[in-house]
Amino acid sequence: MRLPLTVIGGYLGAGKTTVLNRLLSEAHGQRLMIMVNDFGAVNIDAALLESRTDDTIALTNGCVCCTMGADLFMAIGDILDRPARPDHLLIEASGIGDPAAIANAALTEPELAYGGIATVIDGLTWDTLSQDAKIGAQIRGQAEAAQLLLISKSATTPAFLPDRTTQNLATQVPLAPLLLDQRPVSTPSRKTIPHPAYTNWSGCPARSMTAPDLRAALNTRPDSLFRLKGWVDAPSGKSWEVHCVGSQTDIKPAKRTKAHLIGIGLAEQSDPSVWQSWLTASLC
Amino acid sequence: MSDITVFAARKIITMDPNQPEATHVAVRDGYILAVGDAECANPWGGGTLNNELADKVLMPGFVEGHAHMMAGAIWDYTYVGYHDRTDPEGQHWSGLDTLDAVVERLTEADSKLPKGKPLVGWGLDPIFLSDERLSRRHLDAVSADRPIMVMFSNFHLLCANSAALDLVGYGAHTNVEGVVMGADGEPTGELQEMAAMFPVMRRLGVDFRALSLREDAVRSYAKVCQRVGVTTATDLFSTIEESDIGLLHRITADRDFPLRLVPALGTTEAPEANAAKALALREQSTEKLRLGAIKLMTDGSIQGWTARVRWPGYIGGQPNGIWNTAPDMIHALCLEMQRAGLPMHIHVNGDEASEVVMDALAEAKAAHPRPGLRHVLQHAQMMDAPQFARARELDLCVNLFANHIWYFGDQHVAQTIGPDRAASMDGCRAALDAGVNLAIHSDAPVTPMGPLFTAWCAVNRQTMSGQTLGAAQRLSVQEALYAITLGAAFTLGMDHEIGSIETRKRADFAVLGADPTQTTPETLCDIPVHGTVLGGTVHLL
Ligand SMILES: [Zn+2]
Ligand SMILES: [Zn+2]
Repeated sequence: MRLPLTVIGGYLGAGKTTVLNRLLSEAHGQRLMIMVNDFGAVNIDAALLESRTDDTIALTNGCVCCTMGADLFMAIGDILDRPARPDHLLIEASGIGDPAAIANAALTEPELAYGGIATVIDGLTWDTLSQDAKIGAQIRGQAEAAQLLLISKSATTPAFLPDRTTQNLATQVPLAPLLLDQRPVSTPSRKTIPHPAYTNWSGCPARSMTAPDLRAALNTRPDSLFRLKGWVDAPSGKSWEVHCVGSQTDIKPAKRTKAHLIGIGLAEQSDPSVWQSWLTASLC
Repeated sequence: MSDITVFAARKIITMDPNQPEATHVAVRDGYILAVGDAECANPWGGGTLNNELADKVLMPGFVEGHAHMMAGAIWDYTYVGYHDRTDPEGQHWSGLDTLDAVVERLTEADSKLPKGKPLVGWGLDPIFLSDERLSRRHLDAVSADRPIMVMFSNFHLLCANSAALDLVGYGAHTNVEGVVMGADGEPTGELQEMAAMFPVMRRLGVDFRALSLREDAVRSYAKVCQRVGVTTATDLFSTIEESDIGLLHRITADRDFPLRLVPALGTTEAPEANAAKALALREQSTEKLRLGAIKLMTDGSIQGWTARVRWPGYIGGQPNGIWNTAPDMIHALCLEMQRAGLPMHIHVNGDEASEVVMDALAEAKAAHPRPGLRHVLQHAQMMDAPQFARARELDLCVNLFANHIWYFGDQHVAQTIGPDRAASMDGCRAALDAGVNLAIHSDAPVTPMGPLFTAWCAVNRQTMSGQTLGAAQRLSVQEALYAITLGAAFTLGMDHEIGSIETRKRADFAVLGADPTQTTPETLCDIPVHGTVLGGTVHLL
């Protein structure tokens, strides 16, 4: 089974570790593994780790002239080689790093599935930092690479943010539905528990499609459908496994699996009938 | 009576101004007891004459202040680069200037490899190959069924053959940044950046971590050093852990191990944790293993347009480079390491990076004055006279990347920062004029280790196309020799122990076939190296 990978980006002190601790404490029933690729790896709440996950791996900030962060990827390889994989892998990116450089591995590596990029935005300092002459461009890049922006430390949304699905951390809604893979498709035994802040949906694509056609169809999906995952028939008699987060699409070949999709979006923006019409028009 | 050995040499260049030349050096207990003529040991009761080096020229063992341990074990893979190189075993590998030659070398390697084992090449630099780009078609011609990958010299790209691509499942359906697609809609085999490269590397068993801190990697690094007369070398950005110490102690204690190894711990954790770790490591230092230094990364590279540069930026209008450590964190790390009394080697390529680091160090030094604690700006390729003056005011050392002039000088003129700033790059003269302690380096495996070649670069400033780039920044031979001995020793805080041949210092020598002070400056790099002496033990090749 593919291991979903979600990357948590954001500048130093934005609150990446807070997000991870909060996720660890939520009742999502998944075994998480967390890799920390940043200075200050020590702040993950050890009590939460003991009770909820296998372990945390702290890595180098990975910027040697010549090995350019290879250690991080080698460590991902180690996790994939373990006899018992976790349900979901989360990587806390370096405060200065490009989260997409890590998340892209979930698009290339057949044993990983794309889980998305969530960038944590310090609501108090963002509008200054993102315009800073030295660091601004790099920080803005972290927000642009993300499908989800998590605003910390302030109830108001900063002015200079790209247009992305946004959640303010001050609201006490669970983060797992946004950051983690949805159930029940792959493991029916552990169902995702619905929450009023989110709208869940499922549908059945009826057509068999080539990869380019499927990609084109998925690219027309409604913006409000934040996560989408499942299987679509391939012409070869096999299936495509699909993981979509925000505007990013991950399509990988899979053995024959009954065609079905499940999706989730923010309740205030979601209208399942729109999602259903898209499915009918594009995939049926 | 005593165990005094008197080494006779054709000539000894001591780098000691009190006695610049000699013919004999007396050694006791691994240290230099006396220097002079055949009678130099007589005041100590005389010694046993050793004529093994009698026809050689001795210099202080060279000091490589910036290199990486993987320069040794990378030779587990097949070299297919453009420049001539020599492997740790002394085998010469001629540079390859066409893709046909690359295919030919890989085919030969393929024929020697057991069935089922993947073939890995390294060192390819497409900038120097004028014909088409390496693709999986070329590598398929080497083997249709053995997985093959060729790592490019910058380690940011590789090319794989069809067998290797099939292991991952890359194909027409692949639609990912970094997997380069051809006009036929299929992957060309070229993979860019780790995310695209890693699935292939993983399946071919290529793990960079195995290229450092493993027994064979450490030993082959020492061989690389011995071949070029280096007796003390850094491993700059080590991921060394307490658990690696046993191995390093065992290897370095071996009398046959010909190197003083100076690993600098990479900054990877919160500043306080990092400092505590380095302080604990420092306690584990031995005669041939020197721990306790810190390596801090700041920006990227100039030829990759990732260095942070000041106005007017890159000539092609490329956006300014990237920080590998945030300026805020650079400040925090400098402050903490200065407080803890740990020497830092700080990678700064662009001039904005050197500026930010000097700001941080000025602040740190004001908060925690520690006269004598030496920090080194590494590469420092774009520093100008005012920045060197500031480095002097802050008591900083610089270790300039002289080899860059030869390898990348033409590209800097044409593509990165233009002729005027390229002419002042790696400004050795400006550094010395400002009174800054100067070392020069190879950054092996980025360029091959070879202090005499590095000195040649600093003296001649010749580029690959034969141009002299920035004649005003050239060093004299004597100054360049200082930079690869005492100058580099000073940057490691070891100038009281090594770097010159004089009484009380360790008996570490480079054994040369000719006298660098008597050859023409243009042939400095051609002087043969016959090996080293470390602590009085002779290690000839
Ligand atoms: Zn460097
Ligand atoms: Zn380096």
